[in-house]
Amino acid sequence: MATSTAPAPVSPGSVDDPRPPRKIGFRQQLGKWDVKLSPYLYISPFFLLFAVVGLFPLLYTAWVSVHEWSLLGGQGDFVGMENFSFILQQPFFWKALGNTFSIFVLSTIPQMIAALIIAAMLDANLRAKTFWRMGVLLPYVVAPVAVALIFSKLFADGSGVINTLLGYVGIDPVGWHSQSLPAHVAISTMVNFRWTGYNALIFLAAMQAIPRDLYEAATIDGAARWRQFRSITIPMLRPTVIFVVITSTIGGLQIYDEPRMYDQAGKGGSSGQWLTLTLYLRDLGWRQNNLGRAAAVAWMLFLVIIVFAILNFLLTRLIASSGARKAKKQDTKLAAIPAASSPSATPVTDQVIEPGTDDTSGRTAR
Amino acid sequence: MAIAGATSVALLATACSSGGSGDGESSDGKITLTVSTFNEWGYDDLLDEYMELNPDITVVHDKAATSDEAREKFNTGMASGSGLADVAGVEVDWMPEIMQYEDQFTDLTSDSVEGRWQDWKTAQATTPDGKLLGYGTDIGPEAIAYRADLFEAAGLPSDPASVAELFGGEDSSWDDFYAVGDQFMAAGTGVPFYDASSTIYQGQINQVEKSYEDPDTNEIIALDNPEVKDIYQGVLDHADLSAGLSQWSEDWTAAFQNNGFAVMLAPSWMLGVIEGNAAGVEGWDIANVFPGGGGNWGGSFLTVPAQSEHPEEAKALADWLTAPEQQIKAFQTTGNYPSQVEAQKSDELAGITNEFFNNAPIGQIFAEQADRISVNPYKGPQYFAINTEMADAINRVTVDKTDDAASSWEKFETAVKALG
Amino acid sequence: MSTSIPMLEQSAGRGAARAAARKRKQTQTSEGRRAGWVTYAILTIVILGSAYPLYYALQLSSSTASEIAQNPIPGLGLGGNLLDNLQRVMDANINLPQAFLNSVIVAVVTSASVVLFSTLAGFSFAKLRFRGRGPLLVFVIATMAVPTQLGVVPLFIVMRELGLVGNLLSVILPGLVTAFGVFWMTQYLESALPYELIEAARVDGASMIRTFWHVALPAARPAAAMLALFTFIGSWTNFFWPSIVLGTQNPTLPVALQLLQASFFKDMSLIMAGVVISVIPLLVLFVIAGRQLVAGIMAGAVKG
Repeated sequence: MATSTAPAPVSPGSVDDPRPPRKIGFRQQLGKWDVKLSPYLYISPFFLLFAVVGLFPLLYTAWVSVHEWSLLGGQGDFVGMENFSFILQQPFFWKALGNTFSIFVLSTIPQMIAALIIAAMLDANLRAKTFWRMGVLLPYVVAPVAVALIFSKLFADGSGVINTLLGYVGIDPVGWHSQSLPAHVAISTMVNFRWTGYNALIFLAAMQAIPRDLYEAATIDGAARWRQFRSITIPMLRPTVIFVVITSTIGGLQIYDEPRMYDQAGKGGSSGQWLTLTLYLRDLGWRQNNLGRAAAVAWMLFLVIIVFAILNFLLTRLIASSGARKAKKQDTKLAAIPAASSPSATPVTDQVIEPGTDDTSGRTAR
Repeated sequence: MAIAGATSVALLATACSSGGSGDGESSDGKITLTVSTFNEWGYDDLLDEYMELNPDITVVHDKAATSDEAREKFNTGMASGSGLADVAGVEVDWMPEIMQYEDQFTDLTSDSVEGRWQDWKTAQATTPDGKLLGYGTDIGPEAIAYRADLFEAAGLPSDPASVAELFGGEDSSWDDFYAVGDQFMAAGTGVPFYDASSTIYQGQINQVEKSYEDPDTNEIIALDNPEVKDIYQGVLDHADLSAGLSQWSEDWTAAFQNNGFAVMLAPSWMLGVIEGNAAGVEGWDIANVFPGGGGNWGGSFLTVPAQSEHPEEAKALADWLTAPEQQIKAFQTTGNYPSQVEAQKSDELAGITNEFFNNAPIGQIFAEQADRISVNPYKGPQYFAINTEMADAINRVTVDKTDDAASSWEKFETAVKALG
Repeated sequence: MSTSIPMLEQSAGRGAARAAARKRKQTQTSEGRRAGWVTYAILTIVILGSAYPLYYALQLSSSTASEIAQNPIPGLGLGGNLLDNLQRVMDANINLPQAFLNSVIVAVVTSASVVLFSTLAGFSFAKLRFRGRGPLLVFVIATMAVPTQLGVVPLFIVMRELGLVGNLLSVILPGLVTAFGVFWMTQYLESALPYELIEAARVDGASMIRTFWHVALPAARPAAAMLALFTFIGSWTNFFWPSIVLGTQNPTLPVALQLLQASFFKDMSLIMAGVVISVIPLLVLFVIAGRQLVAGIMAGAVKG
């Protein structure tokens, strides 16, 4: 190979640079700052707000949790980890943890599945689309307080609608308020009622982003609806599913309104049958007037949430990935900056083309 | 474009509309006072009347559903230094709790209320160094409300005088009470005797002078106090007489309409509740009797938190609301029996009857029962919390049926120890 | 090969873009999977289930307290007391119109602000390069884990120091921008906003903010519309924090509803009447905004 006779590239401004140094005008300097600083400026409202509304309370609560702190009396002595160790020894704490987890599982899993299915239904070519799509959002519109009132009438042990109906069919009344599992089911029902439609719409928006060409190609190849769903829809939804699972995890572990309104007393049942961690927190801080312990529970809840969120993230990625092996790569995201590690980018996999499919039909030129 | 426009207009609107609301004064010089109560104090009409008498004062009524809720709101308001009403209602059960923080309250001592209440009532709201923190509103002398028609069906006497005799009259004891219950159940009408075991417990614990805490040291004695254990055990031994309901629950409310039970311990303020829940049901009456000597359940005070921006006007409002005339009106509306001496002795009170309860002479009945109150139970700062745990303990056995008396007591012990 | 609608708009003008959108819509629906009766059946069941509790509330609000206690299952029709109960609720000592207005103000301001700031932040995270972008985005997501209960007392203290207790701003300020919003817009703009458009604007000499305003914001419209709807509803139904910081004197609708429940806690029919009143505005919003939103979702589908 002949060596190039072009001069070796010289970086501007260096000693070897024969060109006169370029003066950068003020406007151009502004322009540079604009590019450099704008991103930080634009994301700052969120972080500023978070610092005041999220971070400060978080740190303050940590401060409270290491002191003896009465709701009315105020700050007491520094007690280190005593509040934490006390809480960990309380049977009610572990009960609350178990309840929270149980309600979370009962509310998240059916909800995800239902939301996916409903979204798939709504994705189809329907008449009166607006009606159906808005219709599933209806429960979200009713305030949780109101939902709780309504459901508490439905689930009342003696006089409730459900037990009466069960009675007609000859089944014994269920102890919705006296036993743990039925209580969890009832509360999960309330949560599912409220959030399924919401999540369905989120999935729908993501589904609508999947190009139709993929489905057309698959139909031409003879793939059945279910196969298409499994191999196209779900993998392409992966980022959305992850997002929804994480937000549901966070929300699900924090639920307060529904268990609180499930009965008048608000203590989660006489033996804590439906006592969740946030309810327990409330009880410690506002009924027993012990803010120090309440703060300790709050921090432990925070840690639990983070652990679970990460677990769920990994789990979902695993599950959704098994479908992705057969998925086709969608190239729209090439438009994004190459250096960016966008969380929504699906990994580039080269030789994954459905057998028999034409190379060009599914990929968009970009 | 549109977004920016909308945001700025709305922010402007916010600033304008809520500018005046934070400080209780609107632009035309009127003062707004907030009164916070819970359950039913019969104040709605009274507050309207006060506003008519004082045109430059607007009164807003903040009602909590239960004493529990009111207490939580109160504590939050005290803790954060703002949010309390100008005139805040406090129940006697948690009065001692908040009186620990006496700087948070305005001293309400005044000549106009001199001698208005009995000493024991005033004492409940007075600090060790003599500051009066609350004006007494009502007290809760108890009688027994019953369904005359269900008694008849069970072959028991049903007119008030005979029923009072049946329960033992002047010397009625709790054993007599339980015995009548057994008699009723034996008749086999299929209706439970009373609504909730926890209420029977309440009736009895309010007759014990030193129940949960030592009056001198405030040390918790609940777990070692034989009186507490005995009442607990006694109530649970007679659980078969109970409808197994939890007070204030959905099922409890519905039970009024479905012949859920025949008898209820009735402090005077409960009458309004019964009337509301049992609308359309006939047969309710009141017997002038109460086991174990007179009993008092509840009773409240009006306080003026130091946070208030209009302490003078608030004090005046509290004074007016707790004047004998006003309390009698409240009694007539919702059965809140006056704690004011003058009201209790008045002829007007003696003549009040209640149509729903078969024209029972409630003024007279509750005056007599109030006279029989001999014990003023000591309630310390932890009273409310411990009592709540006890209610849970009883409900575990009778409502949820998840425990028996022994295991439920153990859980009670754990909970009470955690409070310390 | 296909170009996105915003791209078309830039290169060929609005008319062409609209024409292409229409054509694509037609293509899609005519060749798309048609819904079978199974789909309709399932959806009908879902809708019925969604609507039943609301209908139940309507039933209860149109009967009386004693009727409710006597019949646990209200049957199928409506009672006759609806107007009576609505009237009594409106006459009650709780200032419902004011609460209504407060809710509207809070919801509108919050939605507008969340959309604006989230799109701003989403634009940055999705399309701009800057140091710390990855970790910061993860941090945003992590902030969602902070439980609200945790921050109640400190937040209250902050509001008190600022003198905002009882003022609507105390409810608006904490909600001005949400992690969910930022993440939502980031996700959407990643795929919906081609870099070419941004480049084109920059080459034309537009500053960052103009680029944002004229390129990013329009491209984000469908997702922004959905975010606005979610935020509006969320704000409208928000109860916990307003109940603590607003109290009685300046409540929003859910707080007023709870006051109603406390005042008439024995009378379910009145409480349910209050519930019905609080839901009606949102239903109206649905009807009005529903079409736009569905169109929005549809337009968002046609990319790449």
